[in-house]
Amino acid sequence: MAIVHLQADHRRFTGGEEVLEVDGATIGAVIAELERRFPGLGPRLTEGASVAIDGELLPRGSIYEKVGPTTDIHFIAPITGG
Amino acid sequence: MTDTEARPTYKYVGTRPIRHDGLDKVTGKARFAADLNMTGQLRAAITRSPHAHARIVSIDTSAAEAMPGVKAVVTGADFPEIDIADAIHDEAVNNIARDEVLYNGHAVAAVAATTLAQARAAAAAVKVEYEELPAILSIDEAIADGAPLANPTTRTLFTGDTEPSNFASIGQFERGDVEAGFAAADVIVEREFTTVPVHQGYIEPHACVADCGQDGKASIWASSQGHFAVRSKTAAILGWSTDRIKVTPAEIGGGFGGKTTIYLEPIAVRLSQKAGRPVKLAMTREEVLRATGPAPASKISLKIGATNDGELTTLAGTMYYSNGSTKGFSALTGAMSVASYKFPNLELHAIGTVDNTPKSAAYRAPSAPQAAFAVETLVDEIAQQLGMDPIELRLRNAVVEGDPTAMGMPHPKIGFIETLEAIKSSDHYNSPVPEGAGRGFATGFWFNIGEQSSATVNLNEDGTATVITGSPDIGGSRASMALMAAEELGLDVHRITPIVADTESVGFTDITEGSRATFATGMAVVNACRELIEKMKERAAVIRGVDVDQVAWIGGAAVIEGPASEGNEPLTIADITAQAKMTGGPLTATASLNAAGAGPSFAAHLADVKVDEETGQVTILRYTTAQDAGTAIHPAYVEGQMQGGSAQGIGWALNEEYIFDASGEMENASFLDYRMPVASDLPMIETIIVEVPNPSHPYGVRGVGETGIVPPIPTLANAIAAATGVRMTDLPMSPPNVLKKINEK
Amino acid sequence: MISRTHVHCTVNGDEVDFLADDATSLLDALRDELGLTGAKEGCATGDCGACSILVDGAVNCACLMFAAEAEGHEITTVEGIADGDHLHPLQQVFLEEAALQCGICTPGVLVSAKALLDHNPNPTEAEIRYALAGNLCRCTGYDKIIHAVQEAAVQLNGASK
Repeated sequence: MAIVHLQADHRRFTGGEEVLEVDGATIGAVIAELERRFPGLGPRLTEGASVAIDGELLPRGSIYEKVGPTTDIHFIAPITGG
Repeated sequence: MTDTEARPTYKYVGTRPIRHDGLDKVTGKARFAADLNMTGQLRAAITRSPHAHARIVSIDTSAAEAMPGVKAVVTGADFPEIDIADAIHDEAVNNIARDEVLYNGHAVAAVAATTLAQARAAAAAVKVEYEELPAILSIDEAIADGAPLANPTTRTLFTGDTEPSNFASIGQFERGDVEAGFAAADVIVEREFTTVPVHQGYIEPHACVADCGQDGKASIWASSQGHFAVRSKTAAILGWSTDRIKVTPAEIGGGFGGKTTIYLEPIAVRLSQKAGRPVKLAMTREEVLRATGPAPASKISLKIGATNDGELTTLAGTMYYSNGSTKGFSALTGAMSVASYKFPNLELHAIGTVDNTPKSAAYRAPSAPQAAFAVETLVDEIAQQLGMDPIELRLRNAVVEGDPTAMGMPHPKIGFIETLEAIKSSDHYNSPVPEGAGRGFATGFWFNIGEQSSATVNLNEDGTATVITGSPDIGGSRASMALMAAEELGLDVHRITPIVADTESVGFTDITEGSRATFATGMAVVNACRELIEKMKERAAVIRGVDVDQVAWIGGAAVIEGPASEGNEPLTIADITAQAKMTGGPLTATASLNAAGAGPSFAAHLADVKVDEETGQVTILRYTTAQDAGTAIHPAYVEGQMQGGSAQGIGWALNEEYIFDASGEMENASFLDYRMPVASDLPMIETIIVEVPNPSHPYGVRGVGETGIVPPIPTLANAIAAATGVRMTDLPMSPPNVLKKINEK
Repeated sequence: MISRTHVHCTVNGDEVDFLADDATSLLDALRDELGLTGAKEGCATGDCGACSILVDGAVNCACLMFAAEAEGHEITTVEGIADGDHLHPLQQVFLEEAALQCGICTPGVLVSAKALLDHNPNPTEAEIRYALAGNLCRCTGYDKIIHAVQEAAVQLNGASK
């Protein structure tokens, strides 16, 4: 379980809900649970997002990163660099 | 001058040794991609589209093939079809057009011949029949109702949409209540800003040499920001397995983001394969400008509200960014870079567009300078309207650890306040504004990234070391790797040789971008050194006949502690490597990681400018930059990044622009007409390195490459406003554009 | 068959002979015929200065000269400015002052700076900036380059006293 924060254009899948408690022991499991609850949201969080947990930006593809019940997860637009 | 938080005392980190690759670069020995020549090498040239948008009806290469010296010709038909959902699709099509040309300058065919002159003559003789299609040349044309499609393969990113669209991405960021925020604001400022495409302007044109053998394997020597990415992208575009390609990094003559993408390598490999000979393919400057890299054009409408006591309460707006001829998410990163002030109420719409100009590429803190132009100009106007000092207003609203960025994610530990204070206490800020000049101030921010890196550290027989990484060195990173290894091992930095190895000699490493090399690859180097120290402690225990837990690593030597210390002198690295053979063999360690915890870097710039009100010419009298480096591993190259980023931002602000004619042909595709800053255009650029260490890195590194380009545009716009009373909202702020605004006053 | 011209000149102190097509630039001849790749092609139109060389002591863009124009002249490239195993003070100071980043413009900058100091041992900052205005550098913002030329001038003047 973790606390997921969604940015505005992801909230259309959740009926406007911004902060959700979501079951799952890893980032990947949390995304799978979000997809189960809000069909269509999952792919947007895997292909088009960077992930931060408790304010720390994770590298792309960190689906096995473990999360705890008080972990804050932010799904944000992809970050690259020049 | 360095503004330093209390931190551990380092012996090597923070010093300024001569860089290891420097000698070859001052003597002309350094080998850049175009400097390589192979026995039997052919030269190649590319046929490019004269149209901004057209369907390729047919390509006839027979005349070209019959010309003297020609050994091979390729077109899009020589490459596999790639599904539009495939991540490599856009880059593959950008390398060589398939059904449509998408911008003027798009590659359609390529020729390899004995000499360059023969290759160019034959490339000009490739007959392409085009059916011209309507061309979209601006953001406004792309978003117009009923606009024709710029690129029929473009879908709006991350939406699951399957219909083609001129919208590359659509994003929205919200918090608080914007309507209530503006209703309660005492001051509201609102403007529309536009910027045009600009080029990264690296002095080295893209170049590579490819040698494909009859066994179907290819070696590539290329100038890039990431040779592992060159390998994987070339393999994907050719439909090959990765093991068929080896990429050796040449020295890279500047990248700034523009060499994170590839243009030439698949073509060179295919030509080499067909001809059975090595092929060198290098762009001309005109090709570089017409067919690579620009940073996106933008159009940003923004509105900011504040209270009378200087609280910035509300920000709302719409940001359009062009991606050129393919999809991309430049608008999303632009909106995300709005992250410097708390703004309890925020609503940003970020819309990416597609048009028939060159496919845009990353350029140093991608998309952030355009957004900062808008935000920092309006914040300056609010300070002006409230009669507040521009630094005080920012100090009052600056984000600190835990405050949200535009998309809600809280900032980690950052040094924005410290960076603002550094300018506030600078000599420049505390000196009077010169007579007749105007002073401008602005700030900038970039996230930085981590990602995958590998490093191997080998200890040699005599106690010297080799540090091997996979990160192309675009600004002195080899010296930084050696400094971190020196600090870890307690070994003199010039007894360490840092090298960048080819794709078969070091573990996978992501592109050098996002200021990640010193951060992430540096961490891999540190981890490998720490593993080596553990191994050396074990060897020292064997040599001294003690238990390993009685061995400590102190000051570059294994020190025996406790009762056994009596009579046992410390063992230096050289002592240990001399006995490596007798204690278990060579001492080497490899570390790989996918780094989390990249540290954002903030910068604040201050400029004094004079504006000639008769010509519109802007002259910079004094320029100061402060930036949070976390920890400056090699301060001279940190300053170099800050100064170089500033100069690029100054060029973007004052002069640089792509000028297209009505058909979409670039009219200024040369360094004469695409006017980058020269030495006589600039003053000295004073630097203040701020050091608020990044807790996620063993030495506190944040990465410094990106942020320096973000503040210059609004800094100069604000300085021009102070000098003339005119608010510049369209780039570049070149003499004709400044003069026009002054005359409208 | 394209006719080629025989060219005889001095490059970095050595007499050399090579053949060149009428259309071949001196830059291409140096790089491809003589193997001296220190001078770089950044633009081939004389706008970036990466190919700066000295012709009888004066700065020229090698890309703007035909190879045949080198006939009888003394050419100096970046490969020729060190004295044996002693770097030219400009080279040494560029290393010490971190006056280079990627290094692609460095050969041309060093050649132009040498020509300046050969003719004007005590240049002002403005004179240095104008002397190097034909050498584009995209990495450094020129700051450390200007400082390095100033420092090299001090060292050269000290040595000549």
